[in-house]
Amino acid sequence: MVSALILALCIAAFGGLFVAQVATRLRLVRRAPGRLETGDGAARSARFLREVVFQSKVIAEKPLVGLAHAFVFWGFVAFAGYSAAQFLAGLRIVDVTHTAAFAFYARALVPFALAVLVGIVGLVVRRVAVRPEALGPLSWESVLIGAFIATLMITFLREVFRLDEGLAASVNWWIHALVLLVFLALIPNSKHFHLVLSPVTVFLKSPTLGDVRNLDFEREEVGLETVAHLEKKQVLDAFTCVECGRCQMNCPAYATGKRLNPKSLILQNEVALLAGKLDSKLVEQYDAGVLWQCTTCGACEQQCPVGVEHLPLVIGARRGMVSNGEAPAALGAMYNHLERRGNIWGLTSDVRQKFVASAGLETFDASRHEYLMWLGCAGSYDADFQKALRSLFSILRAGGVTFGVLARERCTGDAAKRTGNEYLFQELATANIADFEAAGVTQILTACPHCLKTIGDDYRKFGFSVEVQHTAVFLSNLLETHGAGRPPAATAEGRADRATVTLHDPCYLSRYAGHVNEPRALLGRVGAVVREPERLGRNPFCCGAGGGLLFEEREEGTRISQRRFEQLQATGAGTIVTACPFCAIMLKGAQASANAATEVVDLMTFVDGRMPSASARAPLSGAQAPGEQPGP
Amino acid sequence: MILVVAEQRDGKLNRASWEAVAAAQKLSTLAGGAAITVAVAGGSVGAAAAELSAADVAGVLTVEDPALEPYTADGFVAAFARLVAERKPTYVLVPHTYLARDFVPKLAATLDAPLVADVVGVVDAGGAPAFTRLIFQGKLAADVVPEGPGPYLVTIQAGAFSADSAARGASPAPVSAFAAGVDATSIRQRPEAPFREAKQAVDLSQAARIVAVGRGIRAQDKLPLAQELAKALGAEVAASRPICDAGWLPLERQVGSSGQTVAPKLYLALGISGAIQHAVGMKGAKTIVAINKDAEAPIFELADYGIVGDLFDIVPALVKELQR
Repeated sequence: MVSALILALCIAAFGGLFVAQVATRLRLVRRAPGRLETGDGAARSARFLREVVFQSKVIAEKPLVGLAHAFVFWGFVAFAGYSAAQFLAGLRIVDVTHTAAFAFYARALVPFALAVLVGIVGLVVRRVAVRPEALGPLSWESVLIGAFIATLMITFLREVFRLDEGLAASVNWWIHALVLLVFLALIPNSKHFHLVLSPVTVFLKSPTLGDVRNLDFEREEVGLETVAHLEKKQVLDAFTCVECGRCQMNCPAYATGKRLNPKSLILQNEVALLAGKLDSKLVEQYDAGVLWQCTTCGACEQQCPVGVEHLPLVIGARRGMVSNGEAPAALGAMYNHLERRGNIWGLTSDVRQKFVASAGLETFDASRHEYLMWLGCAGSYDADFQKALRSLFSILRAGGVTFGVLARERCTGDAAKRTGNEYLFQELATANIADFEAAGVTQILTACPHCLKTIGDDYRKFGFSVEVQHTAVFLSNLLETHGAGRPPAATAEGRADRATVTLHDPCYLSRYAGHVNEPRALLGRVGAVVREPERLGRNPFCCGAGGGLLFEEREEGTRISQRRFEQLQATGAGTIVTACPFCAIMLKGAQASANAATEVVDLMTFVDGRMPSASARAPLSGAQAPGEQPGP
Repeated sequence: MILVVAEQRDGKLNRASWEAVAAAQKLSTLAGGAAITVAVAGGSVGAAAAELSAADVAGVLTVEDPALEPYTADGFVAAFARLVAERKPTYVLVPHTYLARDFVPKLAATLDAPLVADVVGVVDAGGAPAFTRLIFQGKLAADVVPEGPGPYLVTIQAGAFSADSAARGASPAPVSAFAAGVDATSIRQRPEAPFREAKQAVDLSQAARIVAVGRGIRAQDKLPLAQELAKALGAEVAASRPICDAGWLPLERQVGSSGQTVAPKLYLALGISGAIQHAVGMKGAKTIVAINKDAEAPIFELADYGIVGDLFDIVPALVKELQR
């Protein structure tokens, strides 16, 4: 009876510590503005299943370490009933530990215990001996907790196999119980709080990458200016961060020697929140200038295993700065261009008109055109990208696809949105949406992945939804339908060379929109052999243009574009293919600066150049485009 | 009466003051030959006043006070508010300098007087003088007639009137002193010593002709070719980013989105592909001539004249022709 009392006191003490620390954090969450979104429950549940139950994000990047972690996680879950039963027995409330069912359960836990033991020893060795950069300076607390977990498993195994008798058995039981309680008390103030919070934050993470809500100007919102402006999910993120450093190691800014470290932003939020610095300016919590080093490539948010959303934080904090006139000078000029000319470069609309006329583009007419071709800033003003578009148009026309352009376009507002000039973004967005609606547009094609994200995701927040496709995806489907572009040996020109290329996945096409296979399918269709670079598919290394960094060519450390160009060059392929005008600008710039022989080509140009020649393509023109009735 | 507020620093008259005098003379002809008085303020303004007395004006006022040196908005507003209150000018003309931008709005508020800022012309609007100023980012010009009781404050844009066109008098205008009696304790600003940001040695934005080199130049030791052509044309040498990245030319010669924005009469692009990041820096050029081996280079989309060929053949021939 005395031991039950002591145990009850211990539970009250350590449990109290746990509850008090959790309560502090919950208060901070409760007083934070914003709402916790739970819409699209199916997508959220699916993510929960993948990332929490099956630990996909943990395992994907580091399979061995991830598996070790998965063992520990599954072990913990499996042990929940065992620990609960032991405590209930210890408190003399109800004792099921002598039942046959419990014995069976305990035996069944043995493999879990062994797996946890192997896992935790592996993780501690990695932390202490391997010392990966991602984990930062050695945390003795983590080592202690590792030792705790190992102790729990060893004491459990001794209990199950009855290795101790009498007093020794009692001591063993108490060691197990006390370690568990001390561990509990340590959880909230350590990275191990993710044990409690990450299932919640993973579920609350938006199903859409880079989901940055619109500011409500009626309510005089200006973005994140002070620590107090951090929204509920952002406060939860600060506490759930497990400090694994996946965001850091995947960040192109960090990799090229810049001060930005996405992990630091989250941890600095945590420090500021717990220190009660609610009225301090948010940017003062971070290292100077880091917010403007983010390309919004989304690698941090995408790779995070505990559901942290970095993009709304970075963009939200940028908004706070822009609303105080603290944007870098290069962005000021760009905003001016957007306000005055409706494009990021401040060029006059006659440049676009000239291209529209010379490329034989018709003004969109819903009765004659199935698709609206959205040119975007690059398509309207970048002579280099216009070459790629001419190639695209030639293939589309051969495929019998009908499309037109708007008489007048403004920038979608991508650069304004991503750099935190929300007011300008909303002005551009609402004006464009009005144009789309007036023209009766239902299907949009664009060759720009940034326009794809902005029209496809961001415009939905205005209640405008339209089908928008990137042309690489559309073209891939179109050619598959037609079976066009057979292996080169079979083309009219009898081309037998199988060009070796490498593909640079644009972040806004692959990571944001998930289109990894279509560009590769197109390349394969025209007989190219793709040599994959490091960092590809859903987790590419950014070209350095996103998030407004296109306009700031002088970078701290190495240029991101240069690093990416070197990675692509290292594949040994003589040709780099990409499918985004901004990636092309950055990689061509890097190519010219490196004075390298490797050429950078847009996917459309490459495909068109290797398609059967125009005459051989003729049969295609009579064919039926997908979903289209034969025209008159 | 028309009051012109001239500007001096360290006893040296700002040339924009003469432009304001010219504007005042134009205004005087439209306002029934109103007399013009020029005032100049500071710690010691004798030399500036003497220079101004050459103008065809009714008189020059020196507004000297220890509290007016160095310049502060509080000091100047106190001095000129008193001057305006005592002399009751109908118009007060000030050159639109950094100084004017700093203190004239406060002066207008203190006097509760209308201010027409950054004026580029004075015209006759049916008997009353109107002041022309550009609106909507320079797309439209508005003629503004100030209403209500004077004085009307007007700032004159630099370069809008020619300083040389200001009429000089047959004999020097009388110079008299005005005691402003500025209360030094009422001045809240404590100015630091003026400084000038390091000026770029090369100001490409003012160049009338530019010879720009890109990757097509191939090697640093080929640069003299471009420099020779620039010399023959009386042009500045500029470059695209890769050239400056490689350190072949200093960063200050870079044209493009992260370099300088230029608007020459002639832009000769040698071996420049015409990437948009470069193109946006040269979009203001009147005539663009491109020489590039690659007929597909985007620069030919921008160029008024294009030569597809080897710059190493073409440039020497050009230089030779120019030197004849």
